[in-house]
Amino acid sequence: MARLKFLCDSDRCIECNACVTACKNEHEVPWGINRRRVVTINDGKPGERSISMACMHCTDAPCAAVCPVACFYGTEDGLVLHDKDLCIGCGYCFYACPFGAPQYPRVGNFGGRGKMDKCTYCAGGPQQDSTPVEYIQYGSNRIAEGKLPLCAEMCSTKALLAGDGEIIASIYKERVQQRGYGSGAWGWRTAYREELPA
Amino acid sequence: MTEQNDSRLNARRRFFGALGLAAMAAPAAAIEADGGTGGLPPQRESEAEKRKPRYRETDHVRAFYRTNRY
Repeated sequence: MARLKFLCDSDRCIECNACVTACKNEHEVPWGINRRRVVTINDGKPGERSISMACMHCTDAPCAAVCPVACFYGTEDGLVLHDKDLCIGCGYCFYACPFGAPQYPRVGNFGGRGKMDKCTYCAGGPQQDSTPVEYIQYGSNRIAEGKLPLCAEMCSTKALLAGDGEIIASIYKERVQQRGYGSGAWGWRTAYREELPA
Repeated sequence: MTEQNDSRLNARRRFFGALGLAAMAAPAAAIEADGGTGGLPPQRESEAEKRKPRYRETDHVRAFYRTNRY
Protein backbone atom coordinates (compact mmCIF):
# COMPACT_ATOMS: atom_id res chain seq x y z
CA MET A 1 0.00 0.00 0.00
CA ALA A 2 1.18 3.51 -0.83
CA ARG A 3 2.66 5.62 1.97
CA LEU A 4 1.90 9.25 1.09
CA LYS A 5 4.73 11.71 1.68
CA PHE A 6 5.95 15.17 0.77
CA LEU A 7 9.44 15.77 -0.53
CA CYS A 8 10.82 19.26 -1.09
CA ASP A 9 13.78 19.30 -3.44
CA SER A 10 15.44 22.41 -2.05
CA ASP A 11 17.88 22.56 -4.96
CA ARG A 12 14.91 23.41 -7.16
CA CYS A 13 12.83 25.65 -4.88
CA ILE A 14 12.99 29.28 -6.01
CA GLU A 15 10.91 30.71 -3.13
CA CYS A 16 8.09 31.80 -5.45
CA ASN A 17 5.48 30.99 -2.78
CA ALA A 18 3.08 29.57 -5.38
CA CYS A 19 2.55 26.53 -3.11
CA VAL A 20 1.53 28.82 -0.24
CA THR A 21 -0.86 30.79 -2.43
CA ALA A 22 -2.33 27.69 -4.06
CA CYS A 23 -3.01 26.14 -0.67
CA LYS A 24 -4.64 29.24 0.77
CA ASN A 25 -6.80 29.67 -2.31
CA GLU A 26 -7.81 26.01 -2.67
CA HIS A 27 -8.93 25.64 0.93
CA GLU A 28 -10.00 29.23 1.59
CA VAL A 29 -7.66 29.26 4.56
CA PRO A 30 -8.52 32.22 6.83
CA TRP A 31 -6.30 35.22 7.43
CA GLY A 32 -3.47 34.55 9.82
CA ILE A 33 -3.12 30.87 8.95
CA ASN A 34 -0.66 29.37 6.50
CA ARG A 35 -0.94 25.63 6.18
CA ARG A 36 2.20 25.78 4.04
CA ARG A 37 5.01 28.29 4.01
CA VAL A 38 8.40 28.74 2.42
CA VAL A 39 11.39 28.98 4.73
CA THR A 40 14.62 30.45 3.39
CA ILE A 41 17.94 29.99 5.10
CA ASN A 42 21.05 32.08 4.41
CA ASP A 43 18.83 34.56 2.59
CA GLY A 44 20.87 36.68 0.19
CA LYS A 45 24.10 34.87 1.02
CA PRO A 46 26.02 32.15 -0.79
CA GLY A 47 24.41 28.79 -0.06
CA GLU A 48 20.88 30.22 0.20
CA ARG A 49 18.27 27.48 0.28
CA SER A 50 14.48 27.58 0.39
CA ILE A 51 12.24 24.83 1.65
CA SER A 52 8.49 24.59 1.28
CA MET A 53 7.20 23.47 4.63
CA ALA A 54 3.88 22.09 5.92
CA CYS A 55 2.73 19.14 7.96
CA MET A 56 4.93 16.22 6.89
CA HIS A 57 2.39 13.60 8.05
CA CYS A 58 5.01 11.95 10.24
CA THR A 59 5.29 8.31 11.09
CA ASP A 60 4.58 8.12 14.85
CA ALA A 61 3.48 11.77 14.79
CA PRO A 62 4.55 13.74 17.89
CA CYS A 63 1.44 15.97 17.66
CA ALA A 64 -0.77 12.91 18.09
CA ALA A 65 1.33 11.71 21.01
CA VAL A 66 0.79 14.89 23.02
CA CYS A 67 -2.83 15.71 22.13
CA PRO A 68 -4.87 15.55 25.36
CA VAL A 69 -8.15 14.92 23.54
CA ALA A 70 -6.80 12.46 20.91
CA CYS A 71 -8.11 14.49 18.00
CA PHE A 72 -5.45 13.15 15.61
CA TYR A 73 -5.83 9.94 13.66
CA GLY A 74 -3.78 8.22 11.01
CA THR A 75 -5.09 6.85 7.74
CA GLU A 76 -3.86 3.59 6.28
CA ASP A 77 -1.87 5.47 3.66
CA GLY A 78 0.09 7.38 6.30
CA LEU A 79 -1.76 10.69 6.53
CA VAL A 80 -2.09 12.40 9.90
CA LEU A 81 -5.50 14.09 10.02
CA HIS A 82 -7.36 15.74 12.85
CA ASP A 83 -10.90 16.23 14.08
CA LYS A 84 -11.80 19.88 14.67
CA ASP A 85 -14.90 18.87 16.62
CA LEU A 86 -12.61 17.38 19.27
CA CYS A 87 -9.77 19.95 19.21
CA ILE A 88 -9.74 22.29 22.21
CA GLY A 89 -7.01 24.58 20.85
CA CYS A 90 -4.61 23.86 23.71
CA GLY A 91 -1.53 24.33 21.49
CA TYR A 92 0.40 21.26 22.70
CA CYS A 93 0.69 19.95 19.13
CA PHE A 94 2.33 23.20 18.06
CA TYR A 95 5.04 22.75 20.68
CA ALA A 96 5.51 19.08 19.79
CA CYS A 97 5.68 19.47 16.02
CA PRO A 98 9.28 19.62 14.70
CA PHE A 99 8.04 21.50 11.63
CA GLY A 100 5.80 24.14 13.26
CA ALA A 101 2.85 22.92 11.21
CA PRO A 102 -0.16 23.42 13.51
CA GLN A 103 -1.73 26.85 13.16
CA TYR A 104 -4.42 28.63 15.17
CA PRO A 105 -6.96 31.06 13.79
CA ARG A 106 -6.83 33.73 16.47
CA VAL A 107 -5.18 35.06 19.56
CA GLY A 108 -7.88 35.77 22.12
CA ASN A 109 -8.14 36.64 25.76
CA PHE A 110 -6.89 34.06 28.27
CA GLY A 111 -4.80 32.30 25.61
CA GLY A 112 -7.77 31.10 23.53
CA ARG A 113 -6.46 30.18 20.11
CA GLY A 114 -9.40 28.58 18.36
CA LYS A 115 -9.31 25.17 16.76
CA MET A 116 -6.05 24.03 15.26
CA ASP A 117 -5.67 24.03 11.50
CA LYS A 118 -2.99 22.28 9.50
CA CYS A 119 -2.27 20.70 6.14
CA THR A 120 -4.65 17.83 5.41
CA TYR A 121 -2.67 16.63 2.38
CA CYS A 122 -5.77 17.87 0.51
CA ALA A 123 -7.58 14.85 2.00
CA GLY A 124 -10.25 16.60 4.08
CA GLY A 125 -11.11 15.29 7.51
CA PRO A 126 -13.52 13.06 9.38
CA GLN A 127 -16.62 14.41 7.60
CA GLN A 128 -17.99 12.58 4.56
CA ASP A 129 -15.78 13.10 1.48
CA SER A 130 -16.42 16.13 -0.72
CA THR A 131 -19.38 17.46 1.27
CA PRO A 132 -19.90 21.20 1.96
CA VAL A 133 -19.42 20.62 5.68
CA GLU A 134 -16.05 18.96 5.03
CA TYR A 135 -15.02 21.89 2.84
CA ILE A 136 -15.96 24.44 5.51
CA GLN A 137 -14.01 22.65 8.23
CA TYR A 138 -11.04 21.17 6.39
CA GLY A 139 -10.97 22.55 2.85
CA SER A 140 -11.03 20.78 -0.45
CA ASN A 141 -10.60 17.00 -0.75
CA ARG A 142 -8.51 16.50 -3.87
CA ILE A 143 -7.36 13.03 -2.86
CA ALA A 144 -11.00 11.84 -3.04
CA GLU A 145 -11.08 13.25 -6.58
CA GLY A 146 -8.06 11.12 -7.52
CA LYS A 147 -5.64 14.04 -7.46
CA LEU A 148 -2.65 15.07 -5.33
CA PRO A 149 -2.12 18.11 -3.08
CA LEU A 150 -2.40 21.30 -5.11
CA CYS A 151 0.81 22.79 -3.68
CA ALA A 152 2.82 20.02 -5.34
CA GLU A 153 0.80 20.02 -8.54
CA MET A 154 1.21 23.80 -8.88
CA CYS A 155 4.98 23.84 -8.28
CA SER A 156 6.48 25.38 -11.41
CA THR A 157 10.00 24.09 -10.82
CA LYS A 158 8.76 20.67 -9.66
CA ALA A 159 10.57 21.22 -6.37
CA LEU A 160 7.71 20.02 -4.23
CA LEU A 161 6.80 16.38 -4.74
CA ALA A 162 3.82 14.61 -3.24
CA GLY A 163 2.41 11.13 -3.60
CA ASP A 164 3.48 7.55 -3.00
CA GLY A 165 6.72 7.76 -1.00
CA GLU A 166 8.47 5.08 -3.06
CA ILE A 167 7.66 6.77 -6.36
CA ILE A 168 8.66 10.30 -5.31
CA ALA A 169 11.85 8.88 -3.77
CA SER A 170 12.67 7.24 -7.10
CA ILE A 171 12.02 10.55 -8.92
CA TYR A 172 14.32 12.34 -6.48
CA LYS A 173 16.93 9.60 -6.85
CA GLU A 174 16.96 10.07 -10.62
CA ARG A 175 17.52 13.80 -10.13
CA VAL A 176 20.34 13.20 -7.67
CA GLN A 177 22.02 10.75 -10.04
CA GLN A 178 22.00 13.45 -12.71
CA ARG A 179 23.05 16.45 -10.66
CA GLY A 180 24.56 15.24 -7.36
CA TYR A 181 23.14 15.06 -3.86
CA GLY A 182 22.95 18.77 -3.04
CA SER A 183 21.17 19.56 0.19
CA GLY A 184 19.37 16.26 0.57
CA ALA A 185 15.74 15.29 1.12
CA TRP A 186 15.13 17.78 3.86
CA GLY A 187 13.00 16.59 6.77
CA TRP A 188 12.83 12.92 5.84
CA ARG A 189 15.03 11.80 8.72
CA THR A 190 12.84 13.70 11.20
CA ALA A 191 9.46 12.88 9.70
CA TYR A 192 9.86 9.33 8.45
CA ARG A 193 12.95 8.22 10.39
CA GLU A 194 14.73 7.28 7.20
CA GLU A 195 17.51 8.38 4.89
CA LEU A 196 17.03 8.42 1.16
CA PRO A 197 19.77 6.33 -0.46
CA ALA A 198 21.19 8.07 -3.48
CA MET B 1 -33.73 68.29 31.92
CA THR B 2 -35.18 69.35 28.58
CA GLU B 3 -36.96 67.09 26.09
CA GLN B 4 -34.15 67.60 23.58
CA ASN B 5 -31.58 66.40 26.08
CA ASP B 6 -33.69 63.29 26.78
CA SER B 7 -33.78 62.29 23.14
CA ARG B 8 -30.03 62.78 22.85
CA LEU B 9 -29.48 60.65 25.92
CA ASN B 10 -31.74 57.92 24.54
CA ALA B 11 -29.91 57.93 21.23
CA ARG B 12 -26.63 57.61 23.10
CA ARG B 13 -27.99 54.72 25.17
CA ARG B 14 -29.21 52.96 22.01
CA PHE B 15 -25.80 53.42 20.38
CA PHE B 16 -23.89 51.99 23.34
CA GLY B 17 -26.47 49.21 23.71
CA ALA B 18 -25.95 48.20 20.08
CA LEU B 19 -22.18 48.40 20.55
CA GLY B 20 -22.41 46.08 23.55
CA LEU B 21 -24.51 43.57 21.63
CA ALA B 22 -22.08 43.66 18.72
CA ALA B 23 -19.16 43.08 21.07
CA MET B 24 -20.89 39.99 22.44
CA ALA B 25 -21.97 38.69 19.03
CA ALA B 26 -18.60 39.08 17.29
CA PRO B 27 -16.69 36.45 19.32
CA ALA B 28 -19.64 34.09 18.96
CA ALA B 29 -19.47 34.50 15.19
CA ALA B 30 -15.70 33.97 15.30
CA ILE B 31 -16.13 30.72 17.22
CA GLU B 32 -18.57 29.59 14.54
CA ALA B 33 -16.13 30.54 11.75
CA ASP B 34 -13.10 28.91 13.30
CA GLY B 35 -13.49 25.19 12.82
CA GLY B 36 -17.27 25.13 13.10
CA THR B 37 -19.55 23.56 10.51
CA GLY B 38 -20.97 26.94 9.48
CA GLY B 39 -24.44 25.86 10.57
CA LEU B 40 -24.47 22.77 8.36
CA PRO B 41 -25.39 19.41 9.87
CA PRO B 42 -22.31 17.24 10.43
CA GLN B 43 -21.92 14.22 8.13
CA ARG B 44 -19.31 12.27 10.02
CA GLU B 45 -17.49 9.23 8.68
CA SER B 46 -17.42 6.01 10.68
CA GLU B 47 -14.19 4.97 12.43
CA ALA B 48 -13.35 2.56 9.57
CA GLU B 49 -14.11 5.16 6.89
CA LYS B 50 -11.88 7.71 8.62
CA ARG B 51 -8.86 5.45 8.42
CA LYS B 52 -9.39 3.94 4.99
CA PRO B 53 -6.66 4.52 2.40
CA ARG B 54 -7.61 7.60 0.38
CA TYR B 55 -4.96 7.56 -2.32
CA ARG B 56 -5.74 6.28 -5.80
CA GLU B 57 -3.22 6.11 -8.60
CA THR B 58 -5.36 7.70 -11.30
CA ASP B 59 -4.26 8.90 -14.73
CA HIS B 60 -4.01 12.38 -13.22
CA VAL B 61 -1.58 11.16 -10.55
CA ARG B 62 0.44 9.13 -13.06
CA ALA B 63 0.75 12.25 -15.24
CA PHE B 64 2.10 14.13 -12.22
CA TYR B 65 4.76 11.46 -11.62
CA ARG B 66 5.68 11.36 -15.30
CA THR B 67 6.10 15.12 -15.67
CA ASN B 68 8.17 15.30 -12.50
CA ARG B 69 10.76 13.04 -14.08
CA TYR B 70 11.57 15.64 -16.77
